[in-house]
Amino acid sequence: MKIWNGIVVAAAVLPLLGSAAFAQADAKLKTLVVAVPSDPVALEPGTNKAEPIGSEIILNVFDTLVAWTAPDFKVLEGRLAKSWTVSDDGKVFDFRLREGVKFQDGTAFDAAAVKFSLERTKATNPYVKATFDLIKEITVVSPTELKITLSAAYPAFLSILAQPQAAIVSPAAVAKYGDKFASNPVGTGPFAFKSAQADTNVVLEANPNYFRGAPKLSQIIYRVIPDASTRRLELEGGGVDIVQQQGQLSAIAAQDIEALKANKDLKVLEASSQIIRQLEFNNSKTDGPFSNLKARQAIAHAIDYDGLLQGVFGGTAERVYGPLTSNSWAFNPKMKELAPKYDPELAKKLLAEAGIKPSSLNLKLYSFQGPLWGAVATFVQANLADIGINATIEQTEFPALRTLQTSGQFDVALDGRQPWYNDPDAHITIGYLSSLANTAMTFRMPQDKALDDLILKAQQTPDMEVRKQLYFTIQEEIAKRVPGAYLFSPKLIVFARANVEGLVVNSAPPLNEYWSVSKK
Amino acid sequence: MASFIIRRLIALIPVMCIVLVIVFSLVRIIPGDPATTLLGPGATQDQIEALRAQLNLDQPVILQFYHYVLGLFVGDFGYSLKTGQPVATEILQRLPATIELSVLAVIVAVIVGIPIGVLSAVRPNSMFDHVTRLVSLIGVSMPAFLLALILQLIFATSLGWLPVSGRVSPYLPIEHVTGFVILDGLLTGNVQGALSAVQHLILPTAVLAAFLAATLGRFVRNTMMDVMGEDFIRTAKAKGLRNRQVVLNHGLRNSLLPAVTIIGLKFAEMLGGAILTETIFAWPGIGRYMFEAIKNRDYPVIQGTTLVFALLFVLTSIIVDVLYGILDPRIRRKMG
Repeated sequence: MKIWNGIVVAAAVLPLLGSAAFAQADAKLKTLVVAVPSDPVALEPGTNKAEPIGSEIILNVFDTLVAWTAPDFKVLEGRLAKSWTVSDDGKVFDFRLREGVKFQDGTAFDAAAVKFSLERTKATNPYVKATFDLIKEITVVSPTELKITLSAAYPAFLSILAQPQAAIVSPAAVAKYGDKFASNPVGTGPFAFKSAQADTNVVLEANPNYFRGAPKLSQIIYRVIPDASTRRLELEGGGVDIVQQQGQLSAIAAQDIEALKANKDLKVLEASSQIIRQLEFNNSKTDGPFSNLKARQAIAHAIDYDGLLQGVFGGTAERVYGPLTSNSWAFNPKMKELAPKYDPELAKKLLAEAGIKPSSLNLKLYSFQGPLWGAVATFVQANLADIGINATIEQTEFPALRTLQTSGQFDVALDGRQPWYNDPDAHITIGYLSSLANTAMTFRMPQDKALDDLILKAQQTPDMEVRKQLYFTIQEEIAKRVPGAYLFSPKLIVFARANVEGLVVNSAPPLNEYWSVSKK
Repeated sequence: MASFIIRRLIALIPVMCIVLVIVFSLVRIIPGDPATTLLGPGATQDQIEALRAQLNLDQPVILQFYHYVLGLFVGDFGYSLKTGQPVATEILQRLPATIELSVLAVIVAVIVGIPIGVLSAVRPNSMFDHVTRLVSLIGVSMPAFLLALILQLIFATSLGWLPVSGRVSPYLPIEHVTGFVILDGLLTGNVQGALSAVQHLILPTAVLAAFLAATLGRFVRNTMMDVMGEDFIRTAKAKGLRNRQVVLNHGLRNSLLPAVTIIGLKFAEMLGGAILTETIFAWPGIGRYMFEAIKNRDYPVIQGTTLVFALLFVLTSIIVDVLYGILDPRIRRKMG
């Protein structure tokens, strides 16, 4: 039985191997390990396409002119800009910049670097073309003064300047690395890029000269762990300190979140998001059951919104009342009353008024893949069955569902919208402007001059109070048209080891800054 | 032997051409557009169209194929749609991790599987035989992801002996020399790092080896039992050879030939299993790279990795044929 001897010896050696791990205890307290599902893409503002992991790393390596103020992210504060003024026509922005700031390569930050960075992004990054093309001229008034002139008023511009694509890069480093800048990004941020290994990790080191003060951590390691259950095991075992819930397409199920909440070694940070998930109709379709407003209303009343939040999400999602989430500064409180209420009897009545026999409808309910979307789809399917509609769930991969949508080959689909900048414009214009009906991420709204004019006016009005009133009206107008049933807004959830302190979860988009984080 | 190998290598060309055509067509039949996926939510149609043009996706499929094949001749597998890096470079970066894992898994499977098969066959219906048959039945039927999870829970979470995932501790980074981390650790004098890499290798190897070891064990047991009933075994015993010699020199040698076939075939299946294993253990190999590429509709990467897998498969079958020659003098003579 020599084999058994071998196994016994092997079992005895295993824990000895484990002792190597203890030697690193000191380094561990100063290091934050963040688990992410995939490699970041494009680690620099000139190519970043709002991909969440790369965006977050950019915001820790670079700084923007302005940033949203924690914890509610409704007010902008100066970052590399000390202060700014906007002209009455909303086209000219004058910035006063911070003095004495240095890039991580030792070169000085000044107005020329801002001009260089923004013009560079405008030239190289197609993702922000629509908004950056509004920049007519950037003038360096002095090393600490900068003037940006837009070709048309666009009040959301400051919000765009807070995005990773508008972060300020070191012109010297760009000249040095050229095409390889994304592999050697240099900014003014609290952490400097150290190394990246494909499918393995990205390592950032503290920038001791950071202008707001050196970060408390000495390094951040982003570990790439594609499998959700492995991420959970690593967190429970202490192999990683932070796991972000990438709420977009893959998510941890509600019961898992409950289990993690019960674990004393962990804490679960939650924040309201501006993400909206909805059941949407193909609003450009002129035939089919849902070209009839009453039929759309019927579906909106058939869904048990509170039941969905409790049953499927166990409190990890919030109610959405209309085209904007309740935490948006432009949210119209009246929407809480205007939003459709769960009333299956009314739904049946509306269907009858629309002249539709529920049993004659055989709906294909398209949805994304993943257990969470599956649960939502099943819940909606049951609600539809209650009013006599038979729906078949088709869970489709993300690219395939997008193709179906842009080509208009569906009646109803479950879908979501995540704004990439913090302004109502991000939801409203892309979602409901009829000229964008055949693009991705829209509600495929039919020609509607009244609504379109309102949307464009709200997009361009510089006076924020007037703008807010315009968005109030827009929300009511959209609600009247019932382009979909707004189901829920998932909370942004970050799982952390209990000894991680000082982390603030941003509401939109989900980007964490680690400057203030420490480990006990 | 040399001419045999050369002939087999030439026969490889048409096989790879067929693989190429199939893969190229298949990835384009799957619904979904890479430009949409790449730009992600919030992209406007203009952005999507611009990217499609940039990636040549607006050209006819035949033209896309022509450009691709032309590139292959100069070692250009195209550029990853996701990262913009050359696919060939990205594959080479990840190949060592997969080779490290799969070769080790084969070695472990052979070391564990063959002795178990032999011992079971020599003592059929003994306690050892019953236990190993049960264990190998579980090994054959248990899906890799389940076994992985169970092992992670026992050895990483509960006992804390081994790391849950990864290739080396992030606190002990190993400098890149060859891409094989254990070797690199030793070469750069980072013994702690190399040790950590060994620890990280144990669970994924066990998962990947389990299926092959179990299959091999069952297979060797059966062929051994057949062989042990043959006339020449009786002759060997009658000559007065020791039992050990009979089993190892006469019995095992004659059972090995079919076992080699199985190892060759199952090696390919194991590479498929590597996709799951690498994903679960966050192992930076080409299996996981391929899986991510399929999710992202990264055409050039799917094509490149499939070609590499096909090549590995075909090369394995050539190696199996050569091993035949070494193990069996009759085949060796025929190879000329």
